[in-house]
Amino acid sequence: MVSRTTKLLFIGPGVAYLAIIGLFPFFYSLYMSTTSLNLTRPRRSQFIGIDNYVQLVTDPLFQKAILNTAILAAGSITLEIVIGFVIAKIFYEIAHIRTVNWLRTLFILPMMVTPVITGLMFTYILNPTLGIANVLLRMVGLPESGWFGSADVALLSVIMVNVWQWTPFLMLIMLAGLMAVPRELYEASALDGAHWYQQSWHIELPALRDVLLVGAIIRLIDNLRFFDVVYIATRGGPGDATEVISMFAYRQSFQFFNMGYGSAAAVLILFITLFVTTLAMRYLRRIEHG
Amino acid sequence: MKRRTALLMAGTIMATWPMLGRPARAQDSQIDWASELGKHDGATLRILMIQDPWVSGFEQLNPIFEQLTGAKVTIDAFGYDQTHEKEVLEGTSQSSQYDIIVLDSPWVGEFWSGEFVEDLKPYIEKTKPEVIAWDDFVPAFQTVAEWEDTIVGVPFGAYFMMMHYRKDLFEQAGLQPPKTIDDYKVAAKHFTNNPDFPGMYGTALNNARGSAIGQSFFEWIFNFGGKPFASTYPGSENPYSDMTPQFNSPEAKQVFEFFKEMLQYQPPGAESIDWEQRAATFTTGKTAMITAWSVRTPGFHDPSKSQIADKIGTSVFPHIEGIDGVPPLGGWVMGINSHSNQKDMAWDYIKWFTSKEVHKQFVLLGGPPSRLSAIEDPEIRAKMPWVETIAETQKHVYAECRPRIPESFEIIDTVGLQFSRALQNQVTVDEALAELQTSIADLMVKGGYTVQQ
Repeated sequence: MVSRTTKLLFIGPGVAYLAIIGLFPFFYSLYMSTTSLNLTRPRRSQFIGIDNYVQLVTDPLFQKAILNTAILAAGSITLEIVIGFVIAKIFYEIAHIRTVNWLRTLFILPMMVTPVITGLMFTYILNPTLGIANVLLRMVGLPESGWFGSADVALLSVIMVNVWQWTPFLMLIMLAGLMAVPRELYEASALDGAHWYQQSWHIELPALRDVLLVGAIIRLIDNLRFFDVVYIATRGGPGDATEVISMFAYRQSFQFFNMGYGSAAAVLILFITLFVTTLAMRYLRRIEHG
Repeated sequence: MKRRTALLMAGTIMATWPMLGRPARAQDSQIDWASELGKHDGATLRILMIQDPWVSGFEQLNPIFEQLTGAKVTIDAFGYDQTHEKEVLEGTSQSSQYDIIVLDSPWVGEFWSGEFVEDLKPYIEKTKPEVIAWDDFVPAFQTVAEWEDTIVGVPFGAYFMMMHYRKDLFEQAGLQPPKTIDDYKVAAKHFTNNPDFPGMYGTALNNARGSAIGQSFFEWIFNFGGKPFASTYPGSENPYSDMTPQFNSPEAKQVFEFFKEMLQYQPPGAESIDWEQRAATFTTGKTAMITAWSVRTPGFHDPSKSQIADKIGTSVFPHIEGIDGVPPLGGWVMGINSHSNQKDMAWDYIKWFTSKEVHKQFVLLGGPPSRLSAIEDPEIRAKMPWVETIAETQKHVYAECRPRIPESFEIIDTVGLQFSRALQNQVTVDEALAELQTSIADLMVKGGYTVQQ
């Protein structure tokens, strides 16, 4: 029988680590969010209660950042699931080909590129004047696009980059799910005269639902803290077209050094993330329990 | 390979130093650096700065300081926003990692109020006047380096915004370089979609959201006859005494509308280009003219970096008819980190690097002329004919062209956001200006400035 002291001794370092790394910064941020602290004018800092939060929820730029983040997350995850499923299905069907492992490795390469490099790469590719994307469009007779430079398509361009990088992640998850589907189900449905799309709808998608939901939750959290590509490629612009919540918090905290206001934004983002992921987890549990 | 090249360059400069260093005036050669500078054997001096074109000038000159003092000099250089971010974080964490902080003119008030940099007045007072030669700095740039009766940094990198145009194209079109904003519009229109100039666009402005377009507003507003704040204008006794924003003025509206109008004469995607990208449109021969800081001028003339190196003319920044123009002034000063443990060595470096004779070498290596002696120097004029435009420009510049108060970065970024929204038709010009009038007034009130309600 392990004594209570021994248990505490084992748990203690972990708890202390969490307290130092996680809890202290969180409570310190919470405290800072109730002040008007600016790092370059620290002596003027005052306790202002919930003023930062009141200002934040009425700040049009923060509202736009929340809307853009929601569009980014919904757009990216939907496209990643659709494209990821199609590609997973292709890889599943060609699993017997000898070079499939190489192809799969090639396909997941974007996921391994540092997001900052991804941002830089697409800044060059999508440069409206000098980039290759518009050259190719011109070659096939399509109209050129302003990409990151046009408020109409900038967020769409960011979603496109996000999808390019992270579709392989959902594809891998779905491929693993497809591999787990018993062959008998396909054979039985084929005998019943089911078409491929009926098999996909009635056999594969239900089988993939659980893994897909886990993958979607992970991607949702990723999208809520999506930063690097926007920082490198658009800085939230043009105008406020690609302003996302992490960029908003960064700008307040590390460009204007409004640590009070920036901390309030960070705390609010944390609670939004917690709320959304808790909802998703509950939904997942409900599915698990039938 | 890189190290070998650097050593080779350093060796070449040191070998030719007496010849290159031939001073403009006899007294300069009288500086005995061996006695003027301390010995710092084994020490390392660390400098934090922006990654601008003149960094290589520093790297080529530093071996001389290293030989004179025994110290090793290292430079860490970053992009514009990152430099500001890193320097403020170094300052707020009271870090002694860097000894010299290179700061942009709008950050002067912020860095002083944050106590990130030393007051250099006592250092200057204990230095021989001929070494520092303060009066030889461009007069407006002397003011840029001062804040609340202190000297926050020593000037070394004065930037003057000038018009850069294609001499060959203007000659072919029979046009003169634009003196007024109307001339600028006419020329920009002429070169755009003109079969005589296929693939060419008139110009490219700094349109990207953030510092790029935010700073643009301050660069153009005076040249439309306006002012950003009630008491901020050339000749004002106290430029920050009344900080009532003037975004509801007709001139502010004219600046916004001018930028919108000029979009049609710029390359596709111009709505989001900044300093680097618009310079690239010019050096790759896609635009007929751009306004640009003088720090880029040597690069424009360098055949290894520019396809139009031998075809460039420069002229003074344009303004509307009937007013005295105020060409934008910017640039960098060198301050001492107030938490450095090697302040004496840092001062040795600053006084050496900014001295007349070393500054001249810096300019010859592509650095921005910041001293009157360098601007008038015949050798520099012969090698860099565009310095003549700088000589004319520096007579009309205004030190407060961009605000230098601690809130400066946030003001510029906020203006940049609304300006960009208006440019992209996300809001109307009137809506953007009304939003700015309110938000900048709030910011000024929060900062404790006088704002007339």
